[in-house]
Amino acid sequence: MIDVIAQALPLAVVASTPLLLAVEGETVVERSGIINLGIEGMMLTGAMTAVIAAQLTGSTVAGFAGGIAGALFIGALFGLFTIVRRADQIVTGTAINLLALGLTGFAWRELEQRALFTRGVPRITFDVIVPFAWIIVPIALALMLWNTSFGLRLRACGENPEAVTASGASVDAHRWIALIIESVLAGIGGAYLALALSSGFAENMTAGRGFIALSIVIFGRWKLKGALLGTAVFGATAAIQYALQATSRGVPFHLLLAAPYIVTLLILCGIAGRVRAPESLGK
Amino acid sequence: MLTVSPVTKSFGANRALDDVSLDVATGEIVAIVGENGAGKTTLMRIVAGELAPDSGSVTLEGSVAMVHQHFMLVNELTIAENLALALPPFGFATRQSVEKLAEAAIAASGIELVDVRRRVGELSVGEKSKLELIKAIARKPRLLVLDEPTSVLTPNESEELFRVIRALAAGGTAIVFISHKLPEVLAIAQRIVVMRGGRVVAESAANALDATKLADAMVVRRAAPAPPPARSIGDEVLRRDDLAVRSGEIVAIIGVAGNGQAELAESLRELPLPRRASFIPEDRTRDGLVAEMSIAENIALSESRWRPREATQRAARLIETYAIRAQSAAQPAGSLSGGNQQKVILARELDRKPLLLVAAEPTRGLDIESTRFVHDELRIAAAHGSAVLLITSDLDEAFALADALHVIYRGRLSARLSPVEAAERAPALMAGVVTQ
Amino acid sequence: MKRILIAIAAGTAAILLVGLAGAATGHRDLLLILLRGSLGSQFAIEGTLLKTVPLLLTGSSVALAFRAGVWNIGGEGQFIAGALAAFIASPFGVIAALLAAMLAGALWASIASLMRLWRNAPEVLTTILLNFIALHLLGWCVNGPLQEPNGQYPQSDTARAALPSIASTELHAGIVLAVVAAIAAWFLLYRTAEGLRLRATGLNPHAARNAGVNVPAQIVRAMALSGATAGLGGGIELLGVTHRLFEGFASGYGYSGIAVALLAGLHPLATIASSTFFGALVTGAGELQRSANISAQVATLGQALVILALALFGRYRAHD
Repeated sequence: MIDVIAQALPLAVVASTPLLLAVEGETVVERSGIINLGIEGMMLTGAMTAVIAAQLTGSTVAGFAGGIAGALFIGALFGLFTIVRRADQIVTGTAINLLALGLTGFAWRELEQRALFTRGVPRITFDVIVPFAWIIVPIALALMLWNTSFGLRLRACGENPEAVTASGASVDAHRWIALIIESVLAGIGGAYLALALSSGFAENMTAGRGFIALSIVIFGRWKLKGALLGTAVFGATAAIQYALQATSRGVPFHLLLAAPYIVTLLILCGIAGRVRAPESLGK
Repeated sequence: MLTVSPVTKSFGANRALDDVSLDVATGEIVAIVGENGAGKTTLMRIVAGELAPDSGSVTLEGSVAMVHQHFMLVNELTIAENLALALPPFGFATRQSVEKLAEAAIAASGIELVDVRRRVGELSVGEKSKLELIKAIARKPRLLVLDEPTSVLTPNESEELFRVIRALAAGGTAIVFISHKLPEVLAIAQRIVVMRGGRVVAESAANALDATKLADAMVVRRAAPAPPPARSIGDEVLRRDDLAVRSGEIVAIIGVAGNGQAELAESLRELPLPRRASFIPEDRTRDGLVAEMSIAENIALSESRWRPREATQRAARLIETYAIRAQSAAQPAGSLSGGNQQKVILARELDRKPLLLVAAEPTRGLDIESTRFVHDELRIAAAHGSAVLLITSDLDEAFALADALHVIYRGRLSARLSPVEAAERAPALMAGVVTQ
Repeated sequence: MKRILIAIAAGTAAILLVGLAGAATGHRDLLLILLRGSLGSQFAIEGTLLKTVPLLLTGSSVALAFRAGVWNIGGEGQFIAGALAAFIASPFGVIAALLAAMLAGALWASIASLMRLWRNAPEVLTTILLNFIALHLLGWCVNGPLQEPNGQYPQSDTARAALPSIASTELHAGIVLAVVAAIAAWFLLYRTAEGLRLRATGLNPHAARNAGVNVPAQIVRAMALSGATAGLGGGIELLGVTHRLFEGFASGYGYSGIAVALLAGLHPLATIASSTFFGALVTGAGELQRSANISAQVATLGQALVILALALFGRYRAHD
């Protein structure tokens, strides 16, 4: 059983890469005071647009660009409602998820029937996304958040936006940039899911990863180190579960799957260490 | 360097500023004094560009920085990070270099504040207000506006502040500061502008005035209050340490705003109180009424039973009794004027014939007529046997109503004072010059 | 009145946009099929009403919670908890099973409200987490202790009780229960002191507290009521429609309840209309997939468009 688990872990790193990108993006956005429940829809849209772009051009690079574009569209929609119109973030996020699920489900079936695509989905040959997500992005984002005046203002937007306004900076501008960063990361995540982990798009293929990402952000206490650790824990649990399911019976797999959520719940209640959400999150 | 040509500003029906002009020269220290609600803060927010006047204009050479009465700080960030927020963007920097930058800004301001790595949430109010001042100075403004800067400072800290102000003025910065503490105004300001009811009513060089003349200009002389209805003092209804309120009496707690009044009112709720205890909240718009609900629904909230028709009838009766200006009981409470909202709250609470009534700043922001109404109602409540605790920063109000007073300073209550004792000792106690 | 017009405008706009999407992809008859599939025959109408029942209950559940200012995004989890409890209690009869469903939904929701009171944990996040935990709990049950005896599929045996069906239709008594529940929720909110305090808590908890409302207790009760309603939805779906538990049992009813409640302006009586609208949309979309090979996700798209249109027309908050 131990060797089964040991074999599962390297796979877990690869398999949870889209999740990690979403967690990193959501961490930045929540630090700026926005809670984006719609990240699930962002990834899902990115996954579909990535596949379309990749199939049309035959290039995975174009695929990733397409994924980013799709996620940016969803991010712009979310920002339009929550930043410009000041609509409720929870309601908008919920609507965005339904929108993405409905739109991609509808559009993909239409596209499939037309058989527009003359070639198959190109696959990634040299995988740069894994080191990008696990090493480059966390370092870059940590430096940005903790060592630049932009990051300082961004964090202040999440704590006390009034103080940012008083200092002459624009809270909205900072939140837009955070949202753009999140969209780019979620788009890459969606594209990776479709182009590297699967061989194309499927309806609702993100399967709740966005919500899991929201949980991991709490698990990681709104820090990038925590994002890495949290994704590793959630990813490993899932991988072990699959590995065990395939090889041995009698282990309560589903309860194992629930465990990280229970731990996150306990973290939220401060039982497993101190946690504090950004003061102005969701307001 | 600053010219305010007659500005006017209204908030709804309330005219906050009425044709106010002001000139400030480079390096000058000007004090603006006046009672609560005289329009001082509104005028300064217009100068700082935070509010737009309805008419008139502001001409300013150079930049302006304003230190507000409430803090614009981020509690989760350190002192250094809060300062860095106020400084021009620095691009990339390590934590150490941000701390160095902050330490340099603090040194340049001449204000003492140690250990820039502390989280702002852990600072005392005095330290927070110093940090606000350092932030403002670090932006090198040509005009510095301070709104009640000494209200939360100890006497020593106030002295430090005055030294800093004088040094800044000597360096050419113009200073405008809002205050209602007359001795300090006379000590620091070169020129004094007195405001009352949204107008400038007096203006003069500081050395041509003394405290009595200033106070005369500042305070509206009001007719002597009607003799209170005869009251019989009954049993003690509330006691906490030295604070005791008996049935039929009005006890006032006076003090400069921000000295722990809110915390006191909050802590009273935790005491084992009689079931019929009523609170008139200080922050009326937040804590008073549910704006979206009707007057009838708001009044019914404190009842254990609710029948929509009965509630409407009762509300209609109270609207009549308390002369609330409303079209009907079904009107949303939020559409009433401030004074009428306060009347609804009073009507609801007093109609329960409370054993204890705790009223915090019950007349803040109200016009004279509504104020008189509220005062009369508090007297009547006491005459009917309520124990009334009045928390107010309006001294006139306290002296007009109270049978006994306590002064609150930095969260601590003075001994119980009779009105005569209070008249003599309150200023010193409120300023923290003497303790007990 | 204005609210009703806004709701109708939002619903119409959403349907028209869906039709437009159909026209753009060459399905000019999309709206027609949608209409035929949801209302065009007795079979279609029965289908619509069957879908309406769970939506009405999760919608009322969301309305109750949002009215109290509590973000209960956990309808999905409470729905599952209700169904699980109903299955376990089904040997004791239909009534016992439904009561168990309500109790389980209330308890599952109370975990979130107690965590908010005790540790200030935001219920938006805790209810989402509780949805996942309920989902995996259900997954474990139908793969383990509650799996059908022959162990062939990951599903439970047939429940030992069932709701009586209505005359010679597919419909079951749950539809009556759901409408009664919505009316009860309306009566509670607008005709009782409890409802007055619940609404005041949602609109302005500070003012409510100042008027003598025990706000924490109010929040716990509102959340329990909300959870009980969603739980009842799960119980009715099990005893009236599926009769078995399986992993995809809740199929998004909890999340759809948010759209139902928002379209109804958080008014329990209006949820009867809005849930019928969405019930028809879902049923019609099923027909689209069967007969025209258009994705049934069109229904999801419609729900999203309704919420977004509402957010554009009016500034939508839970404290509305």
